[in-house]
Amino acid sequence: MANGLQFIDPTEPRSGNPVNSAARPADLAGKVLGLLDNRKEQADVILRTLADALRERYGVARVVVRHKEHHSKLAPDALLDEMAGEVDIAIAALGG
Amino acid sequence: MDAVDEFEFFLEKDWSDGLPVVTPTEARLVRMLSGTCRSPDELIGTVPPVRGRATVRSVAIHALMAGCKPEYLPVVLGGIALVLRDEFNLNGVQGTMHGVAPLMIVNGPYARKIGLHGGNGCFGPGFRANASIGRAIRLMLFNLGGAMPGAGSATIFATPLRYTACVTENSEHSPWESLSVSRGYSLEDDVITCAMVESPRLTFDDTNRDPQRLLTGIADSMSAMGSWNMHTRANMVVAMSPEHATLCVRAGMARADVHRRLCELAGRKVRDLKGGGNWRRERALALPIKVDPDDDECFIPAIKNPQDLHLIVAGGWGPCTAICHGWAGVSRSVHGIYEV
Repeated sequence: MANGLQFIDPTEPRSGNPVNSAARPADLAGKVLGLLDNRKEQADVILRTLADALRERYGVARVVVRHKEHHSKLAPDALLDEMAGEVDIAIAALGG
Repeated sequence: MDAVDEFEFFLEKDWSDGLPVVTPTEARLVRMLSGTCRSPDELIGTVPPVRGRATVRSVAIHALMAGCKPEYLPVVLGGIALVLRDEFNLNGVQGTMHGVAPLMIVNGPYARKIGLHGGNGCFGPGFRANASIGRAIRLMLFNLGGAMPGAGSATIFATPLRYTACVTENSEHSPWESLSVSRGYSLEDDVITCAMVESPRLTFDDTNRDPQRLLTGIADSMSAMGSWNMHTRANMVVAMSPEHATLCVRAGMARADVHRRLCELAGRKVRDLKGGGNWRRERALALPIKVDPDDDECFIPAIKNPQDLHLIVAGGWGPCTAICHGWAGVSRSVHGIYEV
């Protein structure tokens, strides 16, 4: 009874370590922007509109687009690692 | 230390479904673990999205909290292993806005031995094995998976099926082979099928004795404009009462005949679908079957792949069929033999 009480804690230790947020860039000028399309309808339209605005207004240099297999499934680690290696900032589509 | 009311403690810790749980003590855990020969440390998998570990021990803790007898434990262990399979996509369902639950359909001699109920009132309260086995799964999806509404789950309504979702077929009064036998398992196999579905919607029909008319009414309920089955490929469970199934048998229809006929009848023409509901042209184009969204006469079936329709015989005597629609995300049903 690690809790000092007469019953068991039903929760199990979570696997994996806590994830800390990455440092935010001070500006976007000359940066590479990644877009992760979750494949919900119109996600591509919204992301493309965002990318155009960020390029025109804030000087984003290049845009890299990647797609999830399906909106309800996790993006594979390999895809996230690849994006992390290539882009300075990323926007992920969420919901629909 | 002040005396702790364990029932209140568990409710305050968000370790329940809102109802009191059986307090997990070491003595009760030892008793629950007597229901299996497997090692308590055996890892079955991690429950998304927060990846809490489902070990034989943590499964047993939740089984006892839910009110299971030790002899129910093999079914709970088999059930959680199935819902963690990749193709079932539990991760997506845990977070979804929609309100579906993993419905377990348990076939085979062990289900009968432990008193799983498939007859009169089987989707409702009153049956310990059904209530506690399904509840054990739900408590794990909360406590190990973190899918509480407002935390890991964005569900709009959820569903009463998230309290518990476990049935067997009415094998005593079914005129057909069971779901598991129809899939090639033997009568002696202990099999669980899980499908991600909404709560049952009842089609009461005490009028039609002709299967063509009976199945037309059932197929209409299968084809609701607002159901995801009309707009994506999704699972569906159709539970015919023994009476409805028997009407089909008297007209010479085998289980496979009814299954095939429902797949043919259930659906709508593009003209209807355009009138409301969840129609989107791009959704229609993304279907895994060939459809022409610009042809008003094009028929879109509710069942895109016959494997997605789970036809069972359950419930008590009376003229009713229960229909559970499916989920929009990619969740393929899972089935397999569990160890007893």
